[in-house]
Amino acid sequence: MNNFSILSKTINGIVIFLPKGYVNDLGAENLEHACEEFLSKEMKKVVINFSEIQYINSIGASIFTGIVQKIAEHNGMLCFTNMKKVHSDVFEMLGITRHVKVFKEEKDAVNFLKESN
Amino acid sequence: MAEKRNITRLIFSISSLVDLGQEVTSAKSFNERMKTALYVVTGMFSVPKAALLVYNSNQQRLKLLTHKGLKDTTWGNIHVKAKHIKSFSKNEPYSLSKIKTNFLYNPNTEALEKFHTKTFIPLFAKDEFVGAICLGKRLSRPSYLRSEKNVLKVVANQIAITLHNSSLFRRLTNKVNENKKLYENMRHIYNDTIKAFAAAIDAKDVYTKNHSFRVAKYAVAIAGELGWKEKDVEAIYVAGLLHDIGKITIDRGVINKGEDLSVSELSEIKRHPQISYDILSKINFPWKDLVHFVKHHHERIDGRGYPDSLQGEELSDGVKILAIADAFDAMTTDRPYRKKLSLTEALHEVKKCLGTQFDRRISNVFFRVLQKEIKGETKEAQILPHLDKGFNPTVITSLLETITAELSA
Repeated sequence: MNNFSILSKTINGIVIFLPKGYVNDLGAENLEHACEEFLSKEMKKVVINFSEIQYINSIGASIFTGIVQKIAEHNGMLCFTNMKKVHSDVFEMLGITRHVKVFKEEKDAVNFLKESN
Repeated sequence: MAEKRNITRLIFSISSLVDLGQEVTSAKSFNERMKTALYVVTGMFSVPKAALLVYNSNQQRLKLLTHKGLKDTTWGNIHVKAKHIKSFSKNEPYSLSKIKTNFLYNPNTEALEKFHTKTFIPLFAKDEFVGAICLGKRLSRPSYLRSEKNVLKVVANQIAITLHNSSLFRRLTNKVNENKKLYENMRHIYNDTIKAFAAAIDAKDVYTKNHSFRVAKYAVAIAGELGWKEKDVEAIYVAGLLHDIGKITIDRGVINKGEDLSVSELSEIKRHPQISYDILSKINFPWKDLVHFVKHHHERIDGRGYPDSLQGEELSDGVKILAIADAFDAMTTDRPYRKKLSLTEALHEVKKCLGTQFDRRISNVFFRVLQKEIKGETKEAQILPHLDKGFNPTVITSLLETITAELSA
């Protein structure tokens, strides 16, 4: 994966990922591994900001499917924000969005997670 | 709304099939390609846990090749009998309950459950059972629509073909490696046989122990300096080892007699290159020139050699190399009719015979390679280890420089 990178930050125990580029090969598994790392530290509230994602293919969808599953297994909470329509349409069709909260802006997701137990 | 979703699904399926095609034909390693292919499938149908199994027909077992999202992969083997394989529909998705009741017996379904299997797809390429895909629970609906099953079949078919091709390639590679090994073994036996022949030839003449080995080495050194290809260097090496094979038929008493040879004895000795040729031409060597090198190694540039009195450019480089290698070793070893010459004397003798017995260009190469060996400029010395150690390197180097300068002028 030459065109993929991840930035992450934490706010009040909420983990925010800003993946960047193309989510279209196994290199994007780093995002899943990064999620696992935070989950292992009991940081179970996760936001993924899609604003910098250019493209997601089936491999990328598989990786997001894995993230959804892992957070569910840890009884965590996952929010997607800043999704382009093309991505939200595919995720809806795949049933991924049934398992996550989708927000327009990152701050909305953070506020939601701050208030939830 | 439903129509829009169908269009989204269709576009995603088509683009995923394109992804799959690109992945399975990519230059990545086989395991990485298969892992990526499994990810394409799990992404297409939002399945967080899945496994790709490969069938070992000798053991009649499915073994884990790659997976997605599984924590425990230790229970990796599933026994599949021939009768089960026959009953499977090719690349058709089965629900676990159907598999449980109709196909696999209990211990196997336990393994499938360990893989979180909800859907089992037996993979067939042509009529060969090559593996299976185990798909876990989907994030969307539990079952597959008819259209999704059709797409799954296409995907399964593609993965099955990739597994099959890889298996064929692996079998072919194994066969090639086996053959290579066999070839190498035969080659060793072949080389050892040739060396044994050379030893037998040299044993005939008490004065020429290891003569053939040395001639072969000297010839290799000259050919290497000339930039010959490896295959041709090998030819001159074997020619060096076998050049005197004709001596086997000549009476030992004549060979070891010395200088008082009668005309008929001399004539008999002179027959050995022709006899060598007659013996060796019965063998189908991979080097067509070898027998000619052997036949003419006693020819001279001036045409006064034997058996065919060839002269000048009628002599190939191989013949010229063998001629100087043979003569130089004869000069630097004891013979029945004289003591060996010192290295200085031998070099002067070669120089004296340039243009009559020896070719100037090839002799120059010989001098040059000897010079390099003395200076330690070659990877492996081929000539030097066989010469008497008593010579003065400075004197010899200076002599060689003078001769090569004269020849190059």
